[in-house]
Amino acid sequence: MTQPASPDAPPIQAQGLSKTYKVGFWFNRTVRALQGLDLEVGAGQIYGLLGPNGAGKSTTIKILMNLVRPTHGSAHLFGQPVTSAATRRLVGFLPENPSPYEYLTGREFVTLAGHLSGLTRHELDQRVTEVLGAVELGSAEKLQIRRYSKGMVQRVALAQALVGKPKMLILDEPTSGLDPVGRRQMRDLILAERDRGTTVLFCSHIIPDVEALCDRLAVLVGGRRVREGSVQELLSAQVPTMEMVVEGLKVDQVKGLGVALESALALDGRVLVQVADADSQRLLGSVLTAGGRVNRMQPARFSLEQLFMDALKESGRATSVGGEINT
Amino acid sequence: MSAFGAMVWNGFREARRNRVTVVVGAFAAVVMLSSTLVTEVTVATFDRVLTDFGLGMMSLILVFLTIFLSSGLLSREIERRTIFLIVSKPVSRTQFLLARLAGNMLTLALLMVAMMLIFDSQLLLFGAKITSTQYVAAAGLWFELLVLSSAGILFSSFAGPMVSAVCTTGLYFAGHLAGDLLDIARRAESETVQELTQALYYLLPNLERLNFRSHAAYDLPVDVTTFASSAGYAVAWAMVFTAISLFIFERRDFR
Ligand SMILES: Nc1ncnc2c1ncn2[C@@H]1O[C@H](COP(=O)(O)OP(=O)(O)OP(=O)(O)O)[C@@H](O)[C@H]1O
Ligand SMILES: [Mg+2]
Repeated sequence: MTQPASPDAPPIQAQGLSKTYKVGFWFNRTVRALQGLDLEVGAGQIYGLLGPNGAGKSTTIKILMNLVRPTHGSAHLFGQPVTSAATRRLVGFLPENPSPYEYLTGREFVTLAGHLSGLTRHELDQRVTEVLGAVELGSAEKLQIRRYSKGMVQRVALAQALVGKPKMLILDEPTSGLDPVGRRQMRDLILAERDRGTTVLFCSHIIPDVEALCDRLAVLVGGRRVREGSVQELLSAQVPTMEMVVEGLKVDQVKGLGVALESALALDGRVLVQVADADSQRLLGSVLTAGGRVNRMQPARFSLEQLFMDALKESGRATSVGGEINT
Repeated sequence: MSAFGAMVWNGFREARRNRVTVVVGAFAAVVMLSSTLVTEVTVATFDRVLTDFGLGMMSLILVFLTIFLSSGLLSREIERRTIFLIVSKPVSRTQFLLARLAGNMLTLALLMVAMMLIFDSQLLLFGAKITSTQYVAAAGLWFELLVLSSAGILFSSFAGPMVSAVCTTGLYFAGHLAGDLLDIARRAESETVQELTQALYYLLPNLERLNFRSHAAYDLPVDVTTFASSAGYAVAWAMVFTAISLFIFERRDFR
């Protein structure tokens, strides 16, 4: 049918992806969900897609999984066009709000997924037990999925993504619906998969997750890629802001210290100051000299969050949410 | 089990766990057993009425079930997005669609076998004759269900379950009236009417060609070539419907 995928080719390669959805009764209105996206994910990387609601993250992932056809552009997995069914043998996919067949039990569903992934009957049973254990559903495996909670559905969907021992995982908001323990486990699981050499592409708006996991990331806004690079590169290009709580001085006194402040806010008896990191040590000295006290000093935001906010601001869009809607 | 086999088997499992199938199955059993009440009066034509009623009920119930099941086969999966987790596996959409059709036909075949068992045990109970044409009639019905299923799948490849069900029902009635169109065409005065009705006839599957129930009731033989050509006709229509479904389904977006 199709050529076998070559494992040496980059797991994901996409050029100029665009997607325009036609909506409305006469299909005469359009939503531009994605505009000219380039994406390249190398073997063994954990790659994050970050962006506000409606930025086109899920659309990108659906194109890669051949659920949606791009209006323009091309996408390849392991060197094969995304339309090649055989290549998906190497890929495990967790969609956004997954919906497994609810008339099946967790075990039956993961077994079906195993069959579809091409596992032999011989290895299937053991592998299903293994992945159900990994997502901690061992005790609920005989329950019909219609009886599962949201987080349990998320877990069984993760199990079906893992069952075929994929070389790449594509995860759309993997931690959504999970409790704090589940989130932690999901992170550990992703890292463990990476250590085994699995490539991971995932999207999320939970910045700490992205910061903790990714090697590289792309920020999408309104269907366009506004930032791309390794996490280190991107963060070192940032000008970080420090947040400081000053006591013993009035707001005006702090403002009069001769250091440029981003903001200063009076709280009862204290002042909350934001200052560029480069000026923070100077401000600290001045506050102490003026007889004040600094009782707390920390980075104002997660550094990625700031990158994200700056990217939104630069995109020049009135709203960060959604694609371009034309009527 | 191959991926295809697993999908077919799962289609059967889905139908078995669907309340509608179970209820319809039970209802069919009750109705067919109750035919003894109906036939009590008409002693002279006992065998004939029993066969007529039994096979007629079987046809009605299975046609209803076929329309219900097949019109949701693709559309419900797309609506509920269960399809995401299946077509993201190394199976093609073509395989998926064919497996859904095969699973549906397997379900219907098994239900039909169960109904024939009830039917035959009834015939035995009343000392009526079990004939081969009764089986020919059942087989004809299965081929009719094949045409209806592939039509239901075609509609559900682009429309929702409700619309598909309505369209498939429409096709069922039109298909049974298709034969009359030829009569109209023959008798019509105006040439345009003749051409129109004839064109319409060729656009519709003539489902009466698959109806051998009156042969069964009167115990008339059906010769092999007649049956084979009817079955071939049904398969050809099913292939046409399936080919169009595949063409649409391979290209559409799942959102
Ligand atoms: N089926 C659809 N029909 C029409 N427009 C759609 C459809 N699916 C998505 N869109 C539009 O495409 C844009 C991108 O949607 P997408 O689901 O890719 O966003 P996302 O980045 O995944 O957002 P979220 O973080 O909320 O999941 C949005 O503007 C949305 O309105
Ligand atoms: Mg999304």
